[in-house]
Amino acid sequence: MPVEHRDDQFEDRLGAALRSAGGTFDADRTALVAGGETRGRRLRTRRRTAVVSGAAAIALVGVGGALVTPWGGDGTGQRAVGAGGTTVGPGDASPSAGAATAPVPVSGAQLLNTLKELLPSGKLSEQKSRGTASKKGPYAYAVFDDGKGAAALSLSLHRIVPGSGQARQATECPDKAFVPYDDCVTSPLPGGALLRIVKGYEYPDRRVDTKLWTADLVTAAGAYVSVMEWNAAAEKDAPVSRPEPPLNSAQLKTLVADPAWLRAVNAIPASATVETPPVASAPEEVESDDIVTALTGLLPRGLSVVGKSKPDTGFGYVVVDDGKGKSFVQINVQPNSQDLEKELFGEGSGAVTRPDGIKVVVRQGPGDDKGKGLVMRTADALWPDGLRVVVSAFNSASQITGPTRANPALTLDQLKTIATDSRWQQLQPVPN
Amino acid sequence: MRRVRADEYAEFAAARAGHLYRSACLLTAGDTYLAEDLVQETLGRLYVHWGRVSRASNPAGYAQTVLTRTFLAHQRRRSSTERATAVLPDVAVPSAGADVTMRLTLVEALAQLAPKDRAVVVLRYWEDRSIEETAGAMNVSSAAVRTRCVRALARLRALLGEELGEYAAH
Repeated sequence: MPVEHRDDQFEDRLGAALRSAGGTFDADRTALVAGGETRGRRLRTRRRTAVVSGAAAIALVGVGGALVTPWGGDGTGQRAVGAGGTTVGPGDASPSAGAATAPVPVSGAQLLNTLKELLPSGKLSEQKSRGTASKKGPYAYAVFDDGKGAAALSLSLHRIVPGSGQARQATECPDKAFVPYDDCVTSPLPGGALLRIVKGYEYPDRRVDTKLWTADLVTAAGAYVSVMEWNAAAEKDAPVSRPEPPLNSAQLKTLVADPAWLRAVNAIPASATVETPPVASAPEEVESDDIVTALTGLLPRGLSVVGKSKPDTGFGYVVVDDGKGKSFVQINVQPNSQDLEKELFGEGSGAVTRPDGIKVVVRQGPGDDKGKGLVMRTADALWPDGLRVVVSAFNSASQITGPTRANPALTLDQLKTIATDSRWQQLQPVPN
Repeated sequence: MRRVRADEYAEFAAARAGHLYRSACLLTAGDTYLAEDLVQETLGRLYVHWGRVSRASNPAGYAQTVLTRTFLAHQRRRSSTERATAVLPDVAVPSAGADVTMRLTLVEALAQLAPKDRAVVVLRYWEDRSIEETAGAMNVSSAAVRTRCVRALARLRALLGEELGEYAAH
């Protein structure tokens, strides 16, 4: 890429082309102005409501261990009312303008009652709940026994920003490279809602075979209903009580899609609104599409790429196959990592400083996750300007599954060559 | 909002909505639905803070900054770094006389840039802002803007090449 090259003519032409292209976009301005004013009024109303209800108006999502998805999609920090988040459906509890009428709260006991009515016949014990007025958000928990073994079951309700990353995380199937599951299905429901059912495990490394099945429903207006069930009487530290959790996919769907939950979501007080968009102050990071493209280009000949990561930042992976089995290769590209120098490249680390100033350490050992015959080879490079590139190859198709071959598809030398390639320097975003 | 202020706001919004929308269409690389959403969100924020906005030395520039930040915040929330390039979003029916092919090519090329790079291009070459002003609007360092700009230009030059030359010449 001709980084230093400047072409004023091209910049002039680009300006002209943009003006010409931009000028052809036209919309109904009256509708835009009216829509803007409606949103402005709504924002102001929310701000006032937030002041009135004080502490009750804090963020209501992502609290409590039971609400956090096992693959870490806890969605915290999703409080901003954003561009995509202002679709107000008929079920939305936000007052349209002026009068801020408080919705009637739904108590924890009412939620438990509804849960009881919707479950097949059986016994409920160890019931716990919180109502819609609770600061931690509405929640119901019980141990359910249909006669075939006691099983923990929880339900939580939230309001989230439609179209947000959190909404997506709740309804897209997770990447199998990081989360083992037996089955995941996402299906659209009438009215624009999305339902995802995942049949997975409580422990991603499956050190105990407790199964965790979840059903997550997100409506077009941002109501989020989440049900989890286990094949044990408690989420953790309880023996497996039955082969599978009690509700099958159809029963989970019926339970999670019951309109009673949406009424309860409507009763959740409007959360406080962040008034101005957070500014772009997040640290500059390398974008993963670029990382995966570069990594693919640097792989030795004879390896075919059979899988790769979804977009993320600063991180990417590919799954390669040289004909002897799949091998997982992951990479992190982290600018401004000078602070790690002592810890990772200091005395005793075995770091070698190359003539170009790059410090490199190579390691081979069992995988990060509890052995099971996993071999992980790593080359860790720290560039003089603080850019750190870590590449690891496994003898398995993912970080969490068993070995597919005796050794990773790449040697330590090959990994070292990748980690120290000058291409990473070009990808490095910005010297802030 | 008091009457006079409300009138001022309404006048401002009506005058700027079209330009904001066109900027948003370029920022979103032709996603006109998202563009409408971003403009309404921007106008909504300006409405709430109109007292402050109206006292700004350049309310139009302020509005553009709010739009850019709203766009970037939206991209962050989506937590995906680049729009899929294979699927081009809906593009509004162009006005008569426009060079449709070129516009589609340009919008497609914009879609292949990372959102922050796109924001730099729009602010620098559509809004004609200086590097410093662009940096201020995006709340990043001017070095960051310069780097992004060089990268984005190289990418666009590779994607558009002669086509852009032909287009600008006629």
